[in-house]
Amino acid sequence: MQPDTEKKTGKISPHTEEEPLKGTFASVLMLGAFIVVCWFAVFSLFLNRA
Amino acid sequence: MQVHRYEKIWLAIGGAVLALFIVLLAVNAFAMGMHPPSDMQMIDPQKVDQTPPFDKPGLKQIGEKEYDAFMTAYAFSYAPAVIEVPVGSKVNFHVTSKDVVHGFEIPGTNINFMVEPGFVNSASQVFDQPGEYLILCNEYCGAGHHLMATKIIVK
Repeated sequence: MQPDTEKKTGKISPHTEEEPLKGTFASVLMLGAFIVVCWFAVFSLFLNRA
Repeated sequence: MQVHRYEKIWLAIGGAVLALFIVLLAVNAFAMGMHPPSDMQMIDPQKVDQTPPFDKPGLKQIGEKEYDAFMTAYAFSYAPAVIEVPVGSKVNFHVTSKDVVHGFEIPGTNINFMVEPGFVNSASQVFDQPGEYLILCNEYCGAGHHLMATKIIVK
């Protein structure tokens, strides 16, 4: 019975709390921007040579 | 499942970027006519010299400023040896191999494909700038691979 009551109160899983992901968020966006910029750079090179 | 708010945001951005790339590729393929350099045209690799038009490799004018270039690749050169076209010409390259796998690359352009025995591979290029363009083999094809090149003169 003990785990069941803990589930109900939401204390069993640490994932339910908002974790501080601000730094992760920033680095994911920076990596994403890098990939997008690289993709468009290669694509424009392709278009310019056509 | 609990998903963090930030995770939802970056998953949405990633999905949107993927969708954008696919849309751009579709526009490129269907509206702008970009396609792989093979139309699955086949040829007997042992009878290339007897199969027209590769029995007489060379340029064939098909429009005011459009040419078909029928070329063969073999260890370690290309035929014809030199091609000359006027500025602004569109050249449709059709290339096949008489022996092993070769490459066909014109640096500075989008022309870059493999030349496989048994297949005719094709790519088109408009030459707007005068000059000498190098055509080279970029698939290791044997001891003379590094010498395998020719040129196209645009003037």
